[in-house]
Amino acid sequence: MFKDSLIILRKELRRIFTDRRLLFMLVVLPLVMLPLMYSFMGRANKARMVEINSYSSRITICSGEGGEEVRGWFFESLSALNAHVETAGTYELDSLKQRVIDKDLEVLVVMPDSMDDHIRAGSAFDLSIFYNSTGDYSKFAFDQVDIAFAAVGEAIIRQRIMESGMSEDVLTAFTINKQLAAGEFADLAEEGSMMGKLIGVMLPFFIVIYLFANSMKVGLDSVAGEKERGTLAMLLVNQVSRLSIVLGKMISVMVAAIVGAVSSAIGLRIASRYLISMTSDSGASISEYTMGSTAVLQFAIVVIPLAILISSLVLLVSTFARNVKEGQGMIMPVYIAVMVMGVTTMQTGDIPPEWMRMTPIFNSLVVLKDIFMQDAVWGNIVFSLATSLVVSAVLIFITLRMFNDERVLFRI
Amino acid sequence: MLRVENLSKEFRNSRGRQRNVVKAVSNLSFQCQPGEIYGLLGPNGAGKTTTLRCLSTLIKPTSGNVWIDQYNVLEHGQIFRSKIGFLTSDMKLDGYFTPDYMMNWFGQLNKMEDCRIEQQKEKLFNDLQMTDFIHKKIDQLSTGMKQKTAVAISLIHDPEVIIFDEPTSGLDVITSKAVTDFLVSRADSGKIVIISTHNMTIAEKLCHRFGILVDGELKEEGTLSDIIEGSSWDNLEDVFFSYILPGGNHV
Repeated sequence: MFKDSLIILRKELRRIFTDRRLLFMLVVLPLVMLPLMYSFMGRANKARMVEINSYSSRITICSGEGGEEVRGWFFESLSALNAHVETAGTYELDSLKQRVIDKDLEVLVVMPDSMDDHIRAGSAFDLSIFYNSTGDYSKFAFDQVDIAFAAVGEAIIRQRIMESGMSEDVLTAFTINKQLAAGEFADLAEEGSMMGKLIGVMLPFFIVIYLFANSMKVGLDSVAGEKERGTLAMLLVNQVSRLSIVLGKMISVMVAAIVGAVSSAIGLRIASRYLISMTSDSGASISEYTMGSTAVLQFAIVVIPLAILISSLVLLVSTFARNVKEGQGMIMPVYIAVMVMGVTTMQTGDIPPEWMRMTPIFNSLVVLKDIFMQDAVWGNIVFSLATSLVVSAVLIFITLRMFNDERVLFRI
Repeated sequence: MLRVENLSKEFRNSRGRQRNVVKAVSNLSFQCQPGEIYGLLGPNGAGKTTTLRCLSTLIKPTSGNVWIDQYNVLEHGQIFRSKIGFLTSDMKLDGYFTPDYMMNWFGQLNKMEDCRIEQQKEKLFNDLQMTDFIHKKIDQLSTGMKQKTAVAISLIHDPEVIIFDEPTSGLDVITSKAVTDFLVSRADSGKIVIISTHNMTIAEKLCHRFGILVDGELKEEGTLSDIIEGSSWDNLEDVFFSYILPGGNHV
């Protein structure tokens, strides 16, 4: 039986690996797409930040009567910003708000009457700051103004404390020691695990996407394509068993899927340097991240059964469909569901809910994340392996039943 | 010898809550001797393709059986398959491979030794005049070349029974003649050839015996002279039309 499967497999693999266009889509595209994407995103992100930082924000302050002294403090606090600050009367408020909506003005500050009296009386007053969150410049300027005004508020409190005869030290309950001894670090994460966290969040998503996409590229044509071309009948009137045909085709789909997944993993490794530049405050370094032989073994134990499961699923749909087009329509909802699983795994915290660990595909993704974050537990790995294999066996069994059902094969 | 005994095939269709049974073939019986070309004639939907699919083990008869010598289609599927070569009319071979590669591959699927595959390839390539294009990708071949390739592939294991569904459909006269001449040569060498066709001219020239199938039932069976003598018509086409046109042949 395996010899027959090998005959089928050899032809399918020859089809995959000698067709330059198919090979490009299966291997080269995942390899170059992620670095290109992150490189582009990194550059675009950096350029945008430079542009925002160099932009001179337009800030208008509307203030009432009797607040000249305090207004002076606020003006002074804004002097350090790259901003053009103007004053206006409160009667212009509506038109100024409209300018913020129209993105013609970044920030509008509205100050009340008698601010100086409030300060002297030691009472609080309300400030309103208007901005437009849909505009990057406006949001950035609002953040800057918020920080500057908070510093003014702190200085006022400090002054009040001192005037009441108390020490300004009462404002500080404790300090966090940032001056550690030489060689001592506040972040006790293990070497490489910060990079692992970055990779662990992204990679399972890309792996499952490429496992599925590559399975679809090869798997849908594998049976539905043969039905469409009428060659399946010729294959079935030969001496090989239908189980051999199913196995041969499934292994070829699986190989294509794994090639895509490995290719995307290498692609993400290359893309990591751009990923780090985009999240420069993470403290991660690409040179720190290495996967030990145990992690590689764990990766293989999880990814290969996951590839078998996805290939079996695609082959089942391919067997049921009348043609490739119908197969694509049938598999698309499953593909979207798997993408949602990938995205959900990206957003899951350190301890995923129990149902996620019990659900096939989901549990493999969660375990993959654990492996990259160097946090994997063998029990979870074995469980994901077992569920993937059991579900695959069920799918192969159903596919085999379909291969023996003339109503499915010839859709009479 | 090939023997079809009371072959029937029913399909169950379900649309919504309605379930109905369609009788595609009813109680079909005929037999073919080695060296004979048997033509299964009938309009679209008459049951020709279903009959040929039953003969080639692709679908199971609802009742009845098909025998090649002592082997029957229900109990000896694998042996049966080794004795038949089957070709459908609507087949489009994967254009990425060459005829030579496909011949090797189908030879392996038929569990043939490499040396036997080489012998068969040489013979079929010569008989079908394929030697000029055996290393070209199938995508680059003309319709006729593709059909010759399909014929050669289906016969790589040198089967005793050749079952071709519409073998000349869509072919030009030259390729059509090459294919029919080839089938005659196979029959001359002792093979049983069963074809389905709409083309009465080809059928008359090619087949030794005929079966006219209408609505799944065999209306006439025998040699050309048997069929014409038993009717009021003087050619096969008129006999054929007398069964499929309402109220007989009034053309």
